Amino acid sequence: MTAQKEYAKDYKPIDMLAVAAAREVTDGDIVFAGTGLPMLAIMLAQLSGSPNAVCIYEAGSIDGRPIDLPTSVGDSRCAYQAALAAGLTETFYGQLHSGYVDLAFLGGAEIDQYGNVNTTVVGDYASPSKRFTGSGGNPDINSFAKKTVFIMLQEKRRFKENVDYITSPGWRLPKWPSGEMVPKQEIYGKYFQGGPSAVITNMGVFRFDDNGVMYLDTVHPGFTAEQVKENCLFDLNISRCKGETEAPSVEEVELLYTKVDPEGIFLP
Amino acid sequence: MGKPQKINLKEAASLIQDGDMLSFSGFTIWRRPMALIYEMVRQGKKDLHLFEVNGGTHTEVLAGAGAVKMWESCWVGHELYGKLGEGIARGQVEGSILVEDYSHAHVVARLLAGAFGLPFFPTALSMGTDILNPKFDMLGKAGLRDGSNPKIPLKKYDTIKDPMYDMGNILLMPAANPDWALVYASQVGDEGTLRVLSQTYVDPEVIKAADKVIVIAEEIVPDSYLRDEPEKNIATGYAIDYVVECPWGAHPTGSQFFYDVDADFIRQFYTASKSKAAYDKWAEEWIFGVSGHEEYLEKLGVNRLQNLRANSVLGYSTTMKRGTR
Repeated sequence: MTAQKEYAKDYKPIDMLAVAAAREVTDGDIVFAGTGLPMLAIMLAQLSGSPNAVCIYEAGSIDGRPIDLPTSVGDSRCAYQAALAAGLTETFYGQLHSGYVDLAFLGGAEIDQYGNVNTTVVGDYASPSKRFTGSGGNPDINSFAKKTVFIMLQEKRRFKENVDYITSPGWRLPKWPSGEMVPKQEIYGKYFQGGPSAVITNMGVFRFDDNGVMYLDTVHPGFTAEQVKENCLFDLNISRCKGETEAPSVEEVELLYTKVDPEGIFLP
Repeated sequence: MGKPQKINLKEAASLIQDGDMLSFSGFTIWRRPMALIYEMVRQGKKDLHLFEVNGGTHTEVLAGAGAVKMWESCWVGHELYGKLGEGIARGQVEGSILVEDYSHAHVVARLLAGAFGLPFFPTALSMGTDILNPKFDMLGKAGLRDGSNPKIPLKKYDTIKDPMYDMGNILLMPAANPDWALVYASQVGDEGTLRVLSQTYVDPEVIKAADKVIVIAEEIVPDSYLRDEPEKNIATGYAIDYVVECPWGAHPTGSQFFYDVDADFIRQFYTASKSKAAYDKWAEEWIFGVSGHEEYLEKLGVNRLQNLRANSVLGYSTTMKRGTR
């Protein structure tokens, strides 16, 4: 007999975001995660439904078992009890290019309806008005993982018809040198493994249809599908919205604040 | 087979010429050769060509000082302690720094080719992105791919059809062979054998790819100690040209098993890096206002450093306050 799941009554939007992301992990997945919320999501997944999930951080730690939350992927905390404390050649080529990675957990500054992500510039790259951090490993990890989950903040200016610069590849991409837009499969050919499977924000969970176009799958408790649509610059498909995202359980929220981030690093 | 020559920080910085191509050890805010970076700023280096797997606080100290002419990389920032690389960003937007973006794995491919003595390295990562947009080959647009600078390849990348297993199109990334690798290392043997105490990042590749290597070491130890466990070492002594013994030489970046990242210091620097005037004020205090590394450490003070000191079992500080709780 399983105990009735008790849902949390008092939680923050960021908790919902971390919990929804953690639920995207299947037990046993090899997960390649970025800094910040992706770290919370994979650590929560490992403590709840997916104890056998493995985490790779690009700076070199493979299957670490941190007892203190890392603040960046190069942090020594990532490598605690790791199977390997290697470097980027191992993570990007030995693990990623070789095809081990099931799931990528990544962030992004801007996203378009095809899941193309921009973390590089605002405006024309040749004379930009603003520079973001740049790609980092985002496009590498996203291009070869079987599934990618983007974790982002829901703001109208971040959900664009077309991003100014395609840093990380979604489902429709320019084929160089012409720049003709084609499906991802056509560019990756025999290397094709998958692509963006979900986008999770503080307002909802988005997925992609057979044409690689984003739609709203569930809306977080406290929001409506229309409100989410109003927070996108493109015409978001909300017709497939299944209803509310399953709220965080009492246990999940407790794990977040007592085991994953007890020091209040990402969860203030 | 030569042993590295032991020199001091001032001598090390004086070896770097204006316009040289540099790469670095470390990753974002970890194991960066900061003491050497400060000394380079003190000596007024300029027109530097940085090629790095990612940028961090060291990049921003150089960019703020107006020392950077070209930056080939994929990311710059201070992680949780400063979300952008303001100096590089300002340089790119104003046009004073020539920025060439790759992906992380593309930079790794270029370093691997350089390290192995190959002309290029193949990769299928990050295809179909604007990184590969021919319009955004910035060094090409600046007319720098004419072969006159031996450190700049004729193409940003190339695409070939796999001739072996018919896997389709794959990218070729040109080798990178910087003039200098500026490396901070945890331990260096008295014969130059080199060890780092956690993730290796791209330190081994950077060392092999560069023409010359300067190491600033947290400590110099007997080579025999490192040779007892050779599997833990990442470079041979004959690959290293110069060594400077420099405790706390990576501050404010972190060095596993010695000290953690100085978050407050980086936050303050990040705030200052947002304008030229604020940077100059910061540099006046922390770079030009001290005579060298010893005075810099004295100014930081023992309590601050003690708080950062790593737990010798876990490898990171367990006493510093990191979050809001």
